[in-house]
Amino acid sequence: MSRLDGRAALVTGGRQGIGRAIVDAFVAEGADVATCGRGKRPQDLPPTLGWRQTDVSSADDIEDLRIEMLDRFGGLDILVNNAGIQIEKTLLDTSDDDWDALMGVNAKGVFMACRAMIPLMKRGGVIINIGSISGNVADPGIALYNASKAFVHGLTRSIAVDHGPKIRCNAICPGWIMTGMADAAFAVADDPDTAKADALARHPAGRFGQPKDIAALAVWLASDESAFTTGQCFTVDGGMTSASPLNPGLF
Amino acid sequence: MSAVPPNYLKGRIAVVTGGCGGIGRAICRRFHAEGAVVYATDVASLDFSESNIHVLHHDVGSEEDAKAVMAHVAAEHGRLDILVNAAGIEIEKTIEETTLDEWNQSFSVNVSGTFLTSKHALPLMRKADAGSIINFGSYDGFIADPSLAVYCATKGAVHALTRAMACDHGPEGIRVNAVCPGYVNTPMLQSFFGESGNIESLKQAVRDVHPIRNYGEPEDIANLVNWLAGDEARYASGQLWIIDGGLSAQVQQMRL
Repeated sequence: MSRLDGRAALVTGGRQGIGRAIVDAFVAEGADVATCGRGKRPQDLPPTLGWRQTDVSSADDIEDLRIEMLDRFGGLDILVNNAGIQIEKTLLDTSDDDWDALMGVNAKGVFMACRAMIPLMKRGGVIINIGSISGNVADPGIALYNASKAFVHGLTRSIAVDHGPKIRCNAICPGWIMTGMADAAFAVADDPDTAKADALARHPAGRFGQPKDIAALAVWLASDESAFTTGQCFTVDGGMTSASPLNPGLF
Repeated sequence: MSAVPPNYLKGRIAVVTGGCGGIGRAICRRFHAEGAVVYATDVASLDFSESNIHVLHHDVGSEEDAKAVMAHVAAEHGRLDILVNAAGIEIEKTIEETTLDEWNQSFSVNVSGTFLTSKHALPLMRKADAGSIINFGSYDGFIADPSLAVYCATKGAVHALTRAMACDHGPEGIRVNAVCPGYVNTPMLQSFFGESGNIESLKQAVRDVHPIRNYGEPEDIANLVNWLAGDEARYASGQLWIIDGGLSAQVQQMRL
């Protein structure tokens, strides 16, 4: 029997990357999945899956999404708050508009989605938020992103405390998850091969992450296997942040 | 300008284990400058020019030595205000390369030493108005350096012991904290630099990894230990104070 048979799941930001991998994994485990994103329905999304064009920073869009979940599933069992954006600026370069855009999606969007969907989880439910290692330790030049993910981690604990035992809420903190974007970053390095070898050497797992690595934990956290697990932020980064940033072997 | 009042530790009696080592001696000198009477205990010896720094022989793995040190302090002052457990050793090996003797030796100095010295200091510290124990953890108790397995494990143990001691002895007026240094310019770090063919480029590389673009000096650690030792820190207890130039605040920096 599949681990998520018959569960109704909503995954925000499901067009590509981690969100899409979670959608695919949930479907493979027997869940009924709906997803959303700011663009039009992806061509390759299986027709049985729900798609709604949604900006999670919009209260109206979240309300539409809530009604769609009621219409489609009559409730909700699993919510994955994956939608997120990144703005590559230090604090001094960040405008008020940048704040509204980033905090609107990464912080307010998670808040509004949880507030709207928890009442739909009448049989109890599971919330999985996508945090980041950057919410625990800082990546340079993305100050608000780092801070927004720390917000997600804090909200995760609060939801677990306030809405247990009916609702379990955990966060996944991914490290370097490889998408097309990462290869592009190596391509512009002075010496792409050296840069890639250096980055790999910082991963005890000996490789970079894949979206399916995150999806694997999302499935477990969504399933009854994790029935006693709540209020935690789990890092999945191939061991990178377990090691000191100062690695004498890499000088 | 100092961040603490002048003569911050005037009249206090302090024991600093590993007091002749790189960081330990900087702590002893700072305590002395702040007006404390200092006992630098160590297996090694050092001729301090300061009149009020007294060197006592002390193998921190030996319970008899711990008792002897405290008996000495009791005879001369009848109380102890400050204990700094700075004695520590580092073995640069993975667990496969580490022998059981080496493992036990590391735990004996870094963990049992903290336990035994604190245990036999407590009766004397209860006789002081307010006691402060400062243990030496490490940022390695939070995140690992490669080939330092037993060292990382001992420092994690010190972190947990620090919280436990703070819980048990806070009601007796004794505060317990740990300082957790990152890279500090000590003989240990110099030996690391010494292995390189190009010491200057290696030093620069180490500096560049730090958000403040420098590694620490023993005096930087002594600044924090001094603050924790005195009354400015009277509400601080049970905490692990990372002091590493921001090193552990950041994600690993890939070379793109």
